[in-house]
Amino acid sequence: MFKSFRLLTKTTLFYLIFVLLAFFISAKYITNKADQYVNEETDFFFQKRERHLTKYLEESDSIKNFRTTKFKGVVDKNDTLNYPQFKDTLIFIDELGEYQLHRQKTLIVKARGQHFLVEMLINIDDFLKLKTDVSRRIIPFFLILALVIILFNGFMSGYLLKPFNRILEQMNNYKVGKGVKIKAVKTSTSEFKKLQLLFKHMVNRTEDDYQKLKEYTENMAHEIQTPLAIIRNKTEILISDEKVMKEHKESVKVIYDEANHLSRLGTTLNLLTKIENGEYKNTINLKSYDIIQKHLESVKELIALKSLKVEVNLKKEHELLIDPFLFDILLKNILRNAIRYASNKGPIKIETTDKSLKISNYGEPLDVASNIIFDRFYTSSSSGQSLGLGLSLVKRICDLNRMKIDYSYIKGQHTFIIEPFV
Amino acid sequence: MKLLIVEDNYQLANDLARFLSENGFIVEIANNLRTAKDKVGVYDYDLIILDLGLPDGNGLDLIHELKHIKRDPGILIVTAKNAVEDKVMGLELGADDFITKPFHKAELNARVRSIIRRKNFKGNSIIEINQIKIDLDSREAFVNENLVELTRKEYDLLLYFMYNKGRVLTKENIAEHLWGDHIDQADNFDFIYNHIKNLRKKLQVFGAENNIRSVYGMGYKFFEL
Repeated sequence: MFKSFRLLTKTTLFYLIFVLLAFFISAKYITNKADQYVNEETDFFFQKRERHLTKYLEESDSIKNFRTTKFKGVVDKNDTLNYPQFKDTLIFIDELGEYQLHRQKTLIVKARGQHFLVEMLINIDDFLKLKTDVSRRIIPFFLILALVIILFNGFMSGYLLKPFNRILEQMNNYKVGKGVKIKAVKTSTSEFKKLQLLFKHMVNRTEDDYQKLKEYTENMAHEIQTPLAIIRNKTEILISDEKVMKEHKESVKVIYDEANHLSRLGTTLNLLTKIENGEYKNTINLKSYDIIQKHLESVKELIALKSLKVEVNLKKEHELLIDPFLFDILLKNILRNAIRYASNKGPIKIETTDKSLKISNYGEPLDVASNIIFDRFYTSSSSGQSLGLGLSLVKRICDLNRMKIDYSYIKGQHTFIIEPFV
Repeated sequence: MKLLIVEDNYQLANDLARFLSENGFIVEIANNLRTAKDKVGVYDYDLIILDLGLPDGNGLDLIHELKHIKRDPGILIVTAKNAVEDKVMGLELGADDFITKPFHKAELNARVRSIIRRKNFKGNSIIEINQIKIDLDSREAFVNENLVELTRKEYDLLLYFMYNKGRVLTKENIAEHLWGDHIDQADNFDFIYNHIKNLRKKLQVFGAENNIRSVYGMGYKFFEL
């Protein structure tokens, strides 16, 4: 996974890189322009002075040095090829007490048939200063700009992006089926308005679909029960009829069994849906001791009838954070599972500690991988008409109440341990 | 004993009516809430079997109506939803018991009788068939006037049989009545055979005839000899 950044951080970063680049390009351009300007200016000065000098030399016999123009003597005609020469040089200025940059042009001036070697100087220190000033200022200027942009962006994310963040928060908190109204987020940004609208539409559609699905499931589970009750009643009438039973015992039995199966399927699926929809919210700190005892009491004779034994080791302190109704279902299912699959090689053990609830029974090993026993409609091949929903019901209840359920098969014992997530 | 069945499904309502008539009740039917309200306004019923999901409203409204007109019949709520809220609300409103669709008719019969007995203390609390007698108040069983030591489930089983004498009770039916959700319906119910064997044995000690017979491997029937 790549590391993620906030959009605004990203745009700021790119913006700054771009600005920095633009700054350097423009600085380069300015300094180039400055150089070009200096060159043009000095050329112009040198040419002007050269014209003056030529005129001066034509008219006067004597040769006199000026402050910025020095005669270096007379040279041979052949030397003219080596000139003019340009050189930038530092010269100490007494009046200012500092070195200043000058441009020096050494050239040959022709006058009166002679070739005079002349050195001319122009002070270009000011130009240079301007240039270095420009490049030196760029960095602090950029830093100030960057700071301003960052501050501004901070303000933007606080102010401009506030509605956006609110919308994100709403999306994050949204849970299907809770019937929560999406509050309108006040914004004048059209993109956010659009986003908000889309989200609202999406939620409405999801809620609608969810409601339809819920209705469908409930209706299916509900409406199917009346016809099933009729089928069952009619079958019971047939069962009481000796003549029918003599001839059609098998068929009647199958109809009766399947009707029962279908009915339980509807009821259990409906329950599973309700649990998954979080309709049981009466979550309390529940002491398990009395409840487990009560359940054991109701199945005591059943266990005895199946020639099984129970070993109970309950701690009074054991408690769970759960809806009592859900714990009831959990216990019923996990106990029923144990009773159903237990062999009489050893006792069914029920044990609670401070935190965990453990139920184990002896029995044949599973004929499938242990990780699918919590799947819906998994039933062992030997369990005939078992619904295959009991353990998935238990698992869902555990999941929804922040508990984990572990299964193991060791030394002929199937063991389920239920404990809260740490 | 006069019963009112409030149930929108005609087939089911007629089935139940016939079944309960056979059991000695006078039965009337209302197929919707309005008819039910009309009927309870005019007649007195000992017990109302009330389906909650009616075409023209929630059955719970009838309980309100009954309170309003100061009638206090027994109320057995029939719900197809197995919804805890409905049950809780129904019981809070004053219903006496509830039963979830689809139910065994024998179960309905047992519940109806138990409500009527609870509601109407003048009623007979002794059931007697042949040599076997049950005192519903003390929850004791006697054979030829000898007290038989029965476990709670054995007592329930015997009572269930006697309430539904002459009727085939399937193994599923018996298992559901005695253990409800605690039993896996996928079980092959062989242990019920043991249960009944134990009960027979205890009854025979004091000379009871064998009233309980196995029927086609599907269930058992309690005969009046």
